[in-house]
Amino acid sequence: MNTAPHDTARRQLPRIAFVAPRLAVDGAVGGAETLLFNLAQLARDAGCDVTFLTTCARDHHTWENLLPPGETRHEGVRVIRFPVNTDRDIETFLRIQEAICTGTAVSDADEELWLANSVNSRALEEHLRTNTAAYDRIVTGPYLFGLTVAAAAVAPERTLLVPCLHDEPFARVRRIARLFREVRGCIFNTEPERELAVRLFGAELTAPGRSAEIVGFALEPFNCDPAGAARLGVTAPYILYCGRRELLKGTPLLVDYWAAFRRITGRDIKLVLTGSGTVDVPNGLNAHLIDLGFVSEQAKHDLMAGAVAFCHASVNESLGIVLLESWLAGRPVLVHDRGVVLREQTRRARGGLWFRDYPEFQECLNLLLDQPELAAALGAGGREFTLREYAPAAVQARLLEALR
Amino acid sequence: MSETTPLQIGAEGVDVDAIVRELRERVAERRARGEYDEATVARAERFNLANLKDDAQFLERYLTCLRQAVQVDIDDFDIVERRARLAPLLKRLKRGIWCLLRFYTYRLWSQQNQINGMLLAATEIIATRDQERLDRIEARLSEIEARLDAAGKSS
Repeated sequence: MNTAPHDTARRQLPRIAFVAPRLAVDGAVGGAETLLFNLAQLARDAGCDVTFLTTCARDHHTWENLLPPGETRHEGVRVIRFPVNTDRDIETFLRIQEAICTGTAVSDADEELWLANSVNSRALEEHLRTNTAAYDRIVTGPYLFGLTVAAAAVAPERTLLVPCLHDEPFARVRRIARLFREVRGCIFNTEPERELAVRLFGAELTAPGRSAEIVGFALEPFNCDPAGAARLGVTAPYILYCGRRELLKGTPLLVDYWAAFRRITGRDIKLVLTGSGTVDVPNGLNAHLIDLGFVSEQAKHDLMAGAVAFCHASVNESLGIVLLESWLAGRPVLVHDRGVVLREQTRRARGGLWFRDYPEFQECLNLLLDQPELAAALGAGGREFTLREYAPAAVQARLLEALR
Repeated sequence: MSETTPLQIGAEGVDVDAIVRELRERVAERRARGEYDEATVARAERFNLANLKDDAQFLERYLTCLRQAVQVDIDDFDIVERRARLAPLLKRLKRGIWCLLRFYTYRLWSQQNQINGMLLAATEIIATRDQERLDRIEARLSEIEARLDAAGKSS
């Protein structure tokens, strides 16, 4: 990714600290962290003085400090790692989190306790406090980490939040509402995410003088080979999902729908999964669900290019990076109607279809299987949209606007 | 299904809204004919019920799902073994264990099926009564509004 900034932006290039809970060293981190590093690279390419502040953790379950603290460089970006606090009271954190999730009233003190016992790094906060003058902007996210709230509190007037907001119970925590209102502005991924933020935290978020840009994720076109799937042992028609397999990502729903589709229509279509997490395979379908685990980026793109469709049944996304990749690979997507962000992305891109329930899923998939020319046209629509909206130069221009 | 769905690709690309609209109409027609009333569909919706709760027809569909899924399948099933080396031996062992347990499981699940059936019946009665009550209230409300309108006009 190497994009030169346009002249007006070059005049005022700020010094920026990006703050994220983790940094990908092997591609195995969440979408939000990947997004923040993507933005850091774009800012660096534009000539900004960029420092990426993160923790020594790799695993988002244990948050163990596995990587050495200190300064290093990653893909040309200056990175400083700090240890995660090891004195977290996990029990307190989980107790309050459970209450938040179930909609039980939580006091202000408990909200603070919840954040204090979330993932934090005193060393990182201290660095920000002592070096406040060295950074014109602090860009941090996603919103629900104690680390993000603490980083934003150091210099809220210079902080831009990359919330990666979902419509979920954590978004209704009062301290989180304050975070959104106190910072200089937000960098959103999509229009539906910005609309959700306004609905939850008020129209002041988009008031004149506040940054509320929709920036997104920069993607370069890539080469991919639809026949690559065969080299991985996948020779029959298949639908694909790449990412974490968990309830919130809609994976169990997708597996159930696919199993029902096979049983009801009698069509032999495989389900190919890549990524992490376990999945319960319905009885008798072991041979038809192909779990490839972690694969290289090239293999993932080849799988996308060879799929009937990329299926994403999550209703909790702020940006579907895998959708964009699938479109770049020229294939359509199938998404859940209740996932507003993914549905609206798909609608705008004219790159796929969406379903509310199993019967609609069945009809959508039948249509894509029966009309390969339609599937190809949807994939082409998605590709054209991604190349236009998510080209590095376009995303960089929006980012520089947000950083002003 | 695609036999009547024309390929709509214009200068702007594919009209996805039109396709989704058409698919939904077709689903509605098929649903009315009872084409999706089978236990497989009900089971497939178990993770989707939370997403459907704002749907106007949610309760109706949820009850359909319950009706389809209420009977636990207590029939015999194929015993499989993925470890190829000891498969025949392990299969025999599993069949033996299943023969010993079958009597108890049948008894257990028969009782469970009775309870499921009773709970479903109770839920349906409550839903029907609530719907009737709502219908009566709405009819009454319309009547009062009509009377108020008439009184307003005459004054």
